[in-house]
Amino acid sequence: MRRPSPRSVVLGVCALIALMISSCDFRVERSPDVLTTSLLGDPTILNPVLATDAYAQGILSYIYQGLLDLDIETMELVPMLAERWEASEDHLSYTYWIREGVRWQDGTPFTVDDVLFTFETILDPKVDAARLRNYFRNLKAIERVGDRGVRFVFTEPYFRAHIMCGRQPIIPKHIFGDGQEMNSHPANRTPVGTGPYRFAEWKTGQRVRLDRFEGYWGDKPAIRGIVYKIIPEQVTAFQLMRKGGLDADTVSAVQWARQTEDRAFNERFSKHRFFPPNYFFVAWNNRKPYFSDPLVRRAMTMLIDREAIVRELLFGQGHVIDSSFYLYGREVDRDITPLPYDPAQAVKLLDASGWIDHDGDGIRDKDGTPFRFVYLYPAESRLARSIGIFMREDLAKVGIDCEPRQIEWATLLKLLGERNYDATQLGYTGQLESDPFQVWHSSQAEAGSNLSGFADARADALIEEARRTFDRDRRIELYREFQRIVHAAQPVTFLFTSATLEVVDRRFTDVVDYPMGLDLMKWGIGPSAVLYEW
Amino acid sequence: MFSYVIKRLLLMIPTFFGIVVVTFAVVHLAPGDPAELKAQSAREAIASDQATQQIVAETRALYGLDKPLVVQFGLWMKRVVTLDFGTSFRDHRPVIDKIGDALPITLTLNVLTILIVYLVSIPLGVYTALKPRGVADRAATVGLLVLYSLPSFWVAMMLIVAFGGGGDWFNWFPITGFVSDHADLLPWYGWVANVAWHLVLPVACLTYGGFAFLSRFARTAMLEVIRQDYVRTARAKGLSEWCVVTKHALRNALIPMLTLMGTLLPALLGGSVIVEQIFAIPGMGRLGFESVLARDYPVIMAIATISAVLTLLSILITDILYAVVDPRVTFGKR
Amino acid sequence: MMPSQTYSAIVWRQFRKSRLATVSLLFVVVLACVAIMAPLIANDRPLIMRDAQGFAAPALHLPARLRGVDMQLFTQNPPPGVWLIMPPIPYRPGSYDLGAVLVSPSRAHLLGTDGDGRDVASQIVWGTRISLSVGLIAVGLAVFIGLILGALAGFYGGWIDIVISRFVEVMLCFPTFFLILVVLAFVGPSIYNIMIVIGITSWTGTARLIRAEFLRLRSREFVLAATVSGARHLRIMRRHLLPNAIAPILVAAPFGVAGAILVEASLSFLGFGVPPTEPSWGSMLAQAQRFMDIAWWLTLAPGFAIFATIMAYNLIGETLRDAIDPNLKT
Repeated sequence: MRRPSPRSVVLGVCALIALMISSCDFRVERSPDVLTTSLLGDPTILNPVLATDAYAQGILSYIYQGLLDLDIETMELVPMLAERWEASEDHLSYTYWIREGVRWQDGTPFTVDDVLFTFETILDPKVDAARLRNYFRNLKAIERVGDRGVRFVFTEPYFRAHIMCGRQPIIPKHIFGDGQEMNSHPANRTPVGTGPYRFAEWKTGQRVRLDRFEGYWGDKPAIRGIVYKIIPEQVTAFQLMRKGGLDADTVSAVQWARQTEDRAFNERFSKHRFFPPNYFFVAWNNRKPYFSDPLVRRAMTMLIDREAIVRELLFGQGHVIDSSFYLYGREVDRDITPLPYDPAQAVKLLDASGWIDHDGDGIRDKDGTPFRFVYLYPAESRLARSIGIFMREDLAKVGIDCEPRQIEWATLLKLLGERNYDATQLGYTGQLESDPFQVWHSSQAEAGSNLSGFADARADALIEEARRTFDRDRRIELYREFQRIVHAAQPVTFLFTSATLEVVDRRFTDVVDYPMGLDLMKWGIGPSAVLYEW
Repeated sequence: MFSYVIKRLLLMIPTFFGIVVVTFAVVHLAPGDPAELKAQSAREAIASDQATQQIVAETRALYGLDKPLVVQFGLWMKRVVTLDFGTSFRDHRPVIDKIGDALPITLTLNVLTILIVYLVSIPLGVYTALKPRGVADRAATVGLLVLYSLPSFWVAMMLIVAFGGGGDWFNWFPITGFVSDHADLLPWYGWVANVAWHLVLPVACLTYGGFAFLSRFARTAMLEVIRQDYVRTARAKGLSEWCVVTKHALRNALIPMLTLMGTLLPALLGGSVIVEQIFAIPGMGRLGFESVLARDYPVIMAIATISAVLTLLSILITDILYAVVDPRVTFGKR
Repeated sequence: MMPSQTYSAIVWRQFRKSRLATVSLLFVVVLACVAIMAPLIANDRPLIMRDAQGFAAPALHLPARLRGVDMQLFTQNPPPGVWLIMPPIPYRPGSYDLGAVLVSPSRAHLLGTDGDGRDVASQIVWGTRISLSVGLIAVGLAVFIGLILGALAGFYGGWIDIVISRFVEVMLCFPTFFLILVVLAFVGPSIYNIMIVIGITSWTGTARLIRAEFLRLRSREFVLAATVSGARHLRIMRRHLLPNAIAPILVAAPFGVAGAILVEASLSFLGFGVPPTEPSWGSMLAQAQRFMDIAWWLTLAPGFAIFATIMAYNLIGETLRDAIDPNLKT
């Protein structure tokens, strides 16, 4: 037999490849009633007690449920796994009666034991739930009340106790209580909850898939499944969405303002914007000589052009703030106007504070200490980086040497924990009505979240009183006074609250904007062209 | 030969130990503590207070991070000998599973890359060696150097814009992942085609740089061989030029090329961090990068150890192969 | 060939034959000049100015009378009686203008501005400093370490050779880029750390080359003669062995520089690079990613700068290799 010539082999292989590519057999159709979205990274773990990252919490909110739910329209607590509840007169104990007929996604009935187990797990020091445990330190006892009731007893009255107990997702005892170690329990990657979606698949670095739970006790959603694709670059995710590989995703401000304007995009996607509670700020370490004086801190605030930053870097998708409270909440004292951008006034304040260039080297100094500080920012945060660039330029003009230093998140946390920093920029997600205790009380300055070291006796008293006050109007009064103290002291420079920007494929119907975001549980599915997987 | 292999294997032990000690030291002396990272959520940035400090200490004890470094190292070595790399700090999954997920993907990507690089470079090298300093040789040299000098992440960015934007330009290839979701529903050839379709852009980014290196190498090897007497003899016999080149010259020139493959292993295993990151491919490079960011000690250590062992073995095999193929090299003492 | 010609002269003549290589060498020299003179090319201070108090060159040295003056305002609307000449690019890499964010290339901004309103051309000019210094210092360090260890191993052999060879093996077994990432996570990213880390992870090639050359040469007659005549080891290595072994190092060095520049750019791209106040081509590209399809100039300019520089070094290396290859001499 004659051996085929090399040329014909090459031609044959090419023909074969061409055949494979052209026969459309390699494309997979995508179901129109499954929603595909993206995450920038894998969730760390799919257990609501152990998970600390936002990705996991987002996914878990469809799988696990708490005793109560927050109504997305009214922002009131409504029944979920608990049918009704009751608080004692002294606000020290809360009793919940659980719903009948609820089943876990594996068919086992949901009982009071699951609730007890969840909170016992949180309180168990061997469990990796340091952050959660912190919130329940005043929880004295959890008791069973009859067949369907559970009572939480606290040592001190606290206005957030009810929401904390009610919103905690409940985990199944029959799965996690099998004697295996909680932290490495296999169910941490294959969660079983009571929610409308059940876990289907998690391929590390590729996707997490949820399927609708057909045995769900409540109203079943129309969307049959949710797929989270893991894509580490937001740019790539955005391109994938334009290709038709994603149905809904969060977009960045620049994408919102400049890359989603064309007609083709808007014919395919609807755009949604809302302001969930969050705030960004520059923390000044008040323990350092240069930031110990409120005059200096006021000057620093006046040297940062917050309006221009929101306008140019956030493309207008944010609001300048001067408070840690929710932008649209009633707690915000709207009589306080944020300090203006005013370098000339800032120079006067700096001169008045005694930070003057005594030795003529171009850098202000006081008592022999030059005004030279390091601004730390995490590598991931682009805005923090830009702010560093601006501060270096602008502060140099008024005789302050600011060195921006990029630092890894892990290292930054360590330095902040040790209070070994000058200045940094952080963003916190808040609650609708957050408790300023953790971030602003002087007791938290040593080792807590009070990074700036703000300590004010009157502010402390206000925070403590508010924790014990169950009348919201009274709390609002207390919080407004508290805000005026913070505004005067400027322990940090509040920057802005940023909008969450979402884009949703138009084949989904009834996509309603609520102040806090979208609720895909209520969406319907309209007709669409044939979709393909990318 | 047997005693040579034994000697080399024994010599590998201190090398291996050196690698492990260096990695362990670098990883564990790094600032940033996985226990603290855990206690302080990314969402509520810092949520620690006095109680948390205590919990951090407990978490540390849970992971065995409170013991002296030497003890930690001893414990770790003891487990590694039994091939137990522990569980990841991040998701509590066995490290070996995580590497098991990532390694095949990176291997596919890189084996394909190497294959393409060889398939393109060898003919190119041979061709340019036949007429050294000719027009084709010079053009190829400059062209390949241009490719070699293009930073792969830049090219990757360009490719994503070109092949990404929803029909704006060429909406031909996927820009993320290794295979489509639900591709397992396809017949096997459909699945293979689907993977190949996904790998077009990343492999393009990984290959073009190698052409220059390898084709230059092939060219040099070929030039070396083509001057040899036996090639002249073959020509003198009146064999066709094609026959001389493929049968007599190329086969000998291939020897150093093939042994070169062994030394490519570290790059192969480390994966290409940047390409995997940009194209969202869940391979070894991305696993390593994410582990470094999260200070996931067991994963970092396992990646370093596994790649060290495999690389050491491949160097050994390369040396032996070289000796087997080339009778001029002898084993033992100089 | 003239017998009086030295080896280096021959190599130089061979090198000069390649027009591309000569152009590349010229390009590298120009780059070095740009790096050194960056403050005179891209600066928001005048090159020369004259006011009531006489002449001054603020770009080089800021006179006391201009301290605390807002340069942007001063140079755009100089006070009456002040006369000044600005550098070709009248921006410092750090100076930003939130009124000119993402401006496309124009007369005012030759290569446009970035997402923070900073001039791209100015950053490219100052970025040469980072790239060139990382390349040269990292390779210098690598050659230095490799030379010493390779010489020791090759000259003395025996257990010294075994120990050093094992050490080389240890270094070879690490996936280099991964190791650099881990070390940088440990020491924290800064330009000096990047130089040092690249240096101490890339010396193995030099060490192996030197070791092989020394092994080959040490039993030659001229070395034996020197040993017999009682010359000190250091002198033998320096005077007799090194000059003969230096050629392959010279060839490898330009490739090394190209590689180091690429590694720096890659690290900056991944966010492990130099701080934002030091403009680096790699981090410019990383920042450009977000604006890829609305601001092409942000991707094109630094990408081309990296490419051209690496290309120049590679061409030099390539031509040097041909020039010293005795087989290819025509």
